[in-house]
Amino acid sequence: MPRIDWRTALKGLAGFVAAVVIWVAASPVYDRFVAGGAELMLRTFEKPAVTRLTANGEDVKVDREDFDPRSPRPGLPVIDLTFNWVLLAALFAINPRPYSDRNIFRFLFASLLMSITHMAALATEVMSIYVARLGLWSRMHYGDLARNFWGVANHSYRFVLMFAIAFGLWWALRPGVEEPVSRSPRKASRRRARS
Amino acid sequence: MKRDQKLFLIKFFVALIAMYLLVAWNPVNDRVIVPITKVIAAGAGALLHAIGQDVVVSGTTISSSRFAVNINNGCNGVEAMLILLAAIGSFPATMKARLIGLGIGAVVVQVLNEIRIISLYLIGAYRPALFQIFHTAVWQVVVILAAIVFFLQWSARVAPHRLANGS
Repeated sequence: MPRIDWRTALKGLAGFVAAVVIWVAASPVYDRFVAGGAELMLRTFEKPAVTRLTANGEDVKVDREDFDPRSPRPGLPVIDLTFNWVLLAALFAINPRPYSDRNIFRFLFASLLMSITHMAALATEVMSIYVARLGLWSRMHYGDLARNFWGVANHSYRFVLMFAIAFGLWWALRPGVEEPVSRSPRKASRRRARS
Repeated sequence: MKRDQKLFLIKFFVALIAMYLLVAWNPVNDRVIVPITKVIAAGAGALLHAIGQDVVVSGTTISSSRFAVNINNGCNGVEAMLILLAAIGSFPATMKARLIGLGIGAVVVQVLNEIRIISLYLIGAYRPALFQIFHTAVWQVVVILAAIVFFLQWSARVAPHRLANGS
C-alpha cells in the first residue's frame, strides 16, 4: 500500500486532473456505449422487449414502444453515474510505478469492469423511473416491493456504492497485491550476485 | 489477492451496505442526518459571512440574491464518512486505533466538506458555468479521495507489514 508522501500526492493530483479532462471529453461518446449496454440489459429481462435508450450528448432519453407517442420522454444525465471513473484513475495514479505495463493493464481492466457497473447503474436508474415516477402507469405495473427495491438500488449506488466500487476495484487489482513490484533486471541480477 | 485482503473487501462492502440502510432509514435521516447537515450549513454560512458574502442560512439551504445551494445527502460529507467508517471498521486494528482514526478522519472529511460547500457557493455565484462540473466530478471525488487517502495513511501506520503489503 503506498505511503502518501508529497510525490505520491502529486501523482494523484496529476492523475485526477488528467482523468477529469478525459472524462469530460469522452463522456458524450461513452454515454452512448453505456446506454447501449443498459438497453441490452433491460431488454434481456423485458417481455416484450420495448425499452429504447438514446444518448444525445447531454443525457439519455428513455423510450418505450408502448408509451403514448405524444407524452414527453424522461431524460437521464449519465455523467452523474459515471464520474467514479475519475476516482478510479486517481487511485491507480498513486500506485508505485503508475506507468508500468502492469499498472496500466490493471487500470484498463478495472475500467472495463467499471463500465459494466455503469450499464447496470443506468438500467437501475431506468427501472427506478418505471416503478415510481410515471404516475398511474407505475402504480399499474409495479408493486411496493419493486418500488422499494429499485429505489434503494438506485439511491445506494448514487450515495455510496459508486465510490465503493472504484475503491474496491482499485483495492483488488492494484499491483503488488500478489507479488512485490518487479524491479529492473539489472538491479535484480546485482541483488542475486550479492547474495 | 490474499485471503485477508479478500476478507477486508467483503467486510467493507457488507458494512457499507448495512450503514447505508441505517442512514437511509427515514427516522435516522430525519433525526440524525438532517440536523448534522443543518450544522454543516450553518458553519459554511458563517464562514461565507466572514469573507464578506451576504448569505442567509435556512435549514440546509444557503442563499443570497446571487445564488443558493441546498445541502443534501451526497454534499454533507456523510457518504465519505460512511466509506471511511466501513474501511476502518473492516481493517484489522485495535479498537483504540480505530476510534482515533475515525475521530481524526471525520474532522478531515468535514473540514474539506466545508471548503467544498463554500467553494461551490462561490463558483455558483461568480462562475455558474463551472458549477456542474465542480459539483459532480471535482468535489465529490476530492472528498472521497481524501477519505481513502486518510484510510491508507492510517492503515499503513496501524498494520504496516500485514494487510497493507499483502504479506
